[in-house]
Amino acid sequence: MSVQVKDVPFAGTVPSPKTENEGMITGSWRTRRPILDKDKCTDCRMCWISCPDSSINLTNGSVSFNLKYCKGCGICNEICPVGAISLVPELDFEE
Amino acid sequence: MTKENLFEEPGLKQITVWARGVYENKEARDVVVAITEAAASEGRFVQAWENYVDLPDRIYVPVRAYGKISDQEIKSKYVYENEAPDIVALTEETLVKGVNILEGIKPGAVLVVNTRRPAGYLFKFIKQGTENLSKIVTVDANSLAKSIITLSGAEGATDASGIGKGMGAALAAAIVKATGIVQFESLLKIVGNKNAAKKAFEMADVVEVKTLVRAG
Amino acid sequence: MGVKKRISGCVATANAVKLADVEVICSFPIRPYTGIMSELARMVADGELDAEFVHGEGEHGQLSVVYGASAAGARAFTGSAGVGVTYAMELYSPISGERLPLQMAIADRTLDPPGDFGSEHTDALCLRDQGWIQGWAATPQEALDLTLLYYRIGEDPRVLLPQYACQDGYFVSHIFGDVEIPDVAQVKEFLPPYKNHHVLDPRNPQIMGAQMEPAMGPGMQYQRYQAVESARQVIEEAHDEFGRIFGRKYAPWVEEYMTDDAEIAIFMQGGHSETCKTVVKRLRNLGEKVGMVRLRTFRPFPTQHVREALAKFKAVGVVDNSANFGISGGAGVLLTEARTALYGLGDKVKTLGFVAGLGGEMITHEEFHKMFGKLKEVAKTGKTGKENFWLPFEL
Ligand code: SF4
Ligand code: SF4
Repeated sequence: MSVQVKDVPFAGTVPSPKTENEGMITGSWRTRRPILDKDKCTDCRMCWISCPDSSINLTNGSVSFNLKYCKGCGICNEICPVGAISLVPELDFEE
Repeated sequence: MTKENLFEEPGLKQITVWARGVYENKEARDVVVAITEAAASEGRFVQAWENYVDLPDRIYVPVRAYGKISDQEIKSKYVYENEAPDIVALTEETLVKGVNILEGIKPGAVLVVNTRRPAGYLFKFIKQGTENLSKIVTVDANSLAKSIITLSGAEGATDASGIGKGMGAALAAAIVKATGIVQFESLLKIVGNKNAAKKAFEMADVVEVKTLVRAG
Repeated sequence: MGVKKRISGCVATANAVKLADVEVICSFPIRPYTGIMSELARMVADGELDAEFVHGEGEHGQLSVVYGASAAGARAFTGSAGVGVTYAMELYSPISGERLPLQMAIADRTLDPPGDFGSEHTDALCLRDQGWIQGWAATPQEALDLTLLYYRIGEDPRVLLPQYACQDGYFVSHIFGDVEIPDVAQVKEFLPPYKNHHVLDPRNPQIMGAQMEPAMGPGMQYQRYQAVESARQVIEEAHDEFGRIFGRKYAPWVEEYMTDDAEIAIFMQGGHSETCKTVVKRLRNLGEKVGMVRLRTFRPFPTQHVREALAKFKAVGVVDNSANFGISGGAGVLLTEARTALYGLGDKVKTLGFVAGLGGEMITHEEFHKMFGKLKEVAKTGKTGKENFWLPFEL
């Protein structure tokens, strides 16, 4: 159903997302979840550079996944030089 | 002019198939095309189409294909979505998680999922709309036929790769087993992969929702 | 006899192009018309259709390619949607001025904004006065039929004009409908091979689009005016022939639906008329004297036929599926055209303008129901008050 006039952004102009885009939550696209093996990880940051959805966070030099937006494409798993990222079926996780 | 019930279509059945963008577009479309073509061969009025607003050219994005079947001429012809599905099918199991797949379903609606997992396990992930759901049907369609990845048939064009050649044939058969929406014989005449359809028709596991434990 | 299939408007159009044995096709992708070209590309690749398939570098290039092909004597086909249609604006007048009867399919899409894929007639209506034949199909079947009809009309030696065969994007172009695909023999009987008496041919060199002096201007334009006017006769003949050969009888100008003894009616064109029909039928079942008149040929505009069709009602609601900002009447093109057609009848027929379905939004049963409610009120009181309504906000 049509959106009310007052709820349509003026001239189709919307604020640019700064940290995240609530209008495009890509986490529901994911069928496989990336899991990090901290013991293997060398903090080389290749996965962080390569993630197409900027869904890898860098905190104090080490990486973690932003599952709200990670779409499970598996590029991080492909790119990791030491095999520290594995992909596990999303439905194996109840949360 | 009275308005009450003026636009209701009592005999209309709606099928919504959810799939993952690009690699399952064809399979979702095949399910609705196969079932509606089967219904048409039984002399009923049908419609089939793909969601126009989803982003079908992005891999993994949830996409939808729709079918409508009625004993009378279909009145709600030019619409975007099925607003009140009687049947919801998933070509990929993870769609139970984080996607509101049961939105708008009619009381007694049936959910059919391509999965190796039991219905009870999947049910735990579905947070909305389960009060109207009557059955969950599971079938391991991937073990019977592969998903055919093709752009043939996109944008309303003809699918030259053939209807029901892949996994969709199995999913369609499971739908028919659980709902009787068309005769299984009619479906068999349409789908390319008859073997997969026959096996799925045997294998599909139909579970009553009232026997399952609801999500949190 | 033909075969019956359930196909989209895009595939229906492509089948007509194949049946018309088109020789040159030029494509460029833009939703929603793209399906026509992907279907034709498949037909050419699979050897079902022997045509030169050229991929343009844009819509301006597309129209340039078919312009040249048609000038060289080939039956040519192209198409587009939305901003693709307007990007090629420069070419429309030269093609009709050159009297080249090529065909362009338009599956409507909104211009930007809102930049979505949805249907709105605005794109094709921007081109309406360029000397082309133009009209809308309401179903995939009619999309197929329009393509055949328009080639025949446009290529008639009394006409020699290009044609826009329009269909509502998505609603008609993408949703599968029942279509009877005629057989080749029927089409051969209906559509003779394309022969233009002025073709580019190195054995008989001539200049097309030569520089003219202002003194030539009035005569040049008058020629084109005469061509458009003489198309009227040809359009009627072609529809008669079409009905005889294919068994589908379309009214060439306006289709009247349940208008007998109707007091109020909707006047519109395009696919949403299918939704309107179901509302008319339901209201008729309730004893309401309502009807619908669908415009089938928009250019040349059938002023006399529209006048005759609409003059019998107390009130007419004109549905415009296009954005026409600042237009006389404050609604759309169709309202102004309908009012012009009714000019001279005084206040006998009240006319209201309804702008609906913009940006590709559906026009729902409920919205048509409201329009009829408004018309009924106007017919009863004889007073109009506000005469233009932008749906859903103003009704
Ligand atoms: S799976 Fe893809 S989206 Fe998710 S973190 Fe890895 S690279 Fe990023
Ligand atoms: S690419 Fe592998 S090793 Fe490098 S930071 Fe990422 S997970 Fe660690």
